[in-house]
Amino acid sequence: MAVDRLLVIGAGPAGLEAARGAADMGKEVLLVEATGELGGTPYAHYATLTPHLQETHDAMQEMLDGVKTHPAIDIRYNTRVVESEGQAGNFQVVLESTDGTRATEAVGAVVVATGFTHFDPGRETQLYGYYEFEDVITLVDAEHMMKDGRIVRPSNGQPPEKVAFIQCVGSRDRHIGNRWCSKVCCGIASKQAIEIKRMLPNAKVFIFYIDMRMYGFWEDQLYWKAQEEHKVNYVRGIVTEILKKGDKLLMKGEDTTMGRPVEVLMDLIILSVGMEPSKGTLEMANVFNIPREDHGFLATVGEPLDTVTTPVAGVFVAGAAAGPKDIEDSVSMGGAAAIKAVSFLNRLSKSLA
Amino acid sequence: MLSNLYPEVPLEEKQRLFDQVKADARFEDYLYGCYECGICVAACPSARFYDFSPRKIAQTLAREDIEMFYEQMNDDIWNCSQCFSCVRCPRHNNPGGLITIMREVAVTNGLRSTKEALAGYTRIIYKIMTTGTQVSPDMLQEDAFPDWGPQVKEVASHLDLWRRALPPETLHTTGLSWQVEERTMLELYTIWKLTGVLDMISELDEGLHDIMEEVMDDALEDQGFTIA
Repeated sequence: MAVDRLLVIGAGPAGLEAARGAADMGKEVLLVEATGELGGTPYAHYATLTPHLQETHDAMQEMLDGVKTHPAIDIRYNTRVVESEGQAGNFQVVLESTDGTRATEAVGAVVVATGFTHFDPGRETQLYGYYEFEDVITLVDAEHMMKDGRIVRPSNGQPPEKVAFIQCVGSRDRHIGNRWCSKVCCGIASKQAIEIKRMLPNAKVFIFYIDMRMYGFWEDQLYWKAQEEHKVNYVRGIVTEILKKGDKLLMKGEDTTMGRPVEVLMDLIILSVGMEPSKGTLEMANVFNIPREDHGFLATVGEPLDTVTTPVAGVFVAGAAAGPKDIEDSVSMGGAAAIKAVSFLNRLSKSLA
Repeated sequence: MLSNLYPEVPLEEKQRLFDQVKADARFEDYLYGCYECGICVAACPSARFYDFSPRKIAQTLAREDIEMFYEQMNDDIWNCSQCFSCVRCPRHNNPGGLITIMREVAVTNGLRSTKEALAGYTRIIYKIMTTGTQVSPDMLQEDAFPDWGPQVKEVASHLDLWRRALPPETLHTTGLSWQVEERTMLELYTIWKLTGVLDMISELDEGLHDIMEEVMDDALEDQGFTIA
């Protein structure tokens, strides 16, 4: 007898949409979340959403409430999936909460929505001094400051006069082993540049890039807007090294379109860190024996026409666990995964009835 | 960012000129943002012959790179042929128009490099502003236009005859490209004076300015016009 119940792992945008979708289609949903809060990485770390700059908690509240109040969704906070036995139609999964208590649950299908983690810019060959210089921060650190409605130099608490973003940190780099584009960092950096100029109109803001990847409407919503309305300077060329000079940061690179080297002093440098598979994503690959595609994210079969079905029967993936995704893609995949998983459960219950 | 070919010129002076360019009413419509895609350079005839890039003009202004701007004010802007092929920009920038503004600021401020760049054009400026026609037949001398070949000498020596051989009577001129009505010239003088175009020249070439002003004032006065 197949278990007519869906396990959704991870309560970010993809997992929330998958859980809500499957529950709305009449399935019992067990939603397991490693932290004590719904909403995932954007909700926990991002002050505003790209591209429309809505306050994240406001924008996502309806989505969170829809899941929290849904009678068919059973949420387990502070809980990880640590083991799984059985197969499609009857997975026996072991859940472990942060206090160490374990519980075994039976589910018929699984949606893995365990997302990504931000690249650690202090790692590997990066010469940006992230752990050495207080005024070298990441996009995420900047978001944390923006949650408090400010942007300052961590070294002295003063607003910066010159700010630079460095793109593709941890992305598109064979040395690091991450060959992929992380898709969202160009948009987020442009969004933050706009926000910084709104807070500090006299600040000079630069974005050093390899290619600006502002696909679709982000082009004019973010890139043109930052450049034309807020006079953000986009300079093609990647910074090789950051050094300390007095109380400023000296960055070295090439202004490739002007054809000359650049050595400029900055007050604050923001590293546009990319995406890597999260710890949870790597754990779920092991627990459910899901193959990882050659960049290390969870593999799917049938791309580009099927974005959510993994090679393991009954296990689906949604969001950035399958590769870099923006929120729109994640939510779309959450809906797609819900449909695939629900129809999978329906077929099982008919054939095994 | 690193360019500084004019260290003797204080940054404030460079900034002052930049601010004048930026304050021009056309500036907003001529510069949005630059992709640095190079379509303007690809379309630019001058870029084929000179070390000149309309892209760098747009980029420099967009980035507010004051040092580079000052370099361009003293060099690049005079390599543009003002054909406006560059307006095919996908962002709707107009590098040629930006150069028009920069040239006007360079002229009104009488930059030394501008005086040098325009020194060879004194006769043409005089001719255009006093007659409304540009290169008159009697300017076609062998020494001035060697690239026109040996026949220039022959034509120049019998210029009046050649011109009278042309069918339209209005072209039977040697000191003008064509016969210009006196009324047209007076209108032109009025325009130069009222729009401030004549005054633009005063910083550039005071002698030329004074000579032209005298020609214009005399002609207007003879016909009983006064320009406030």
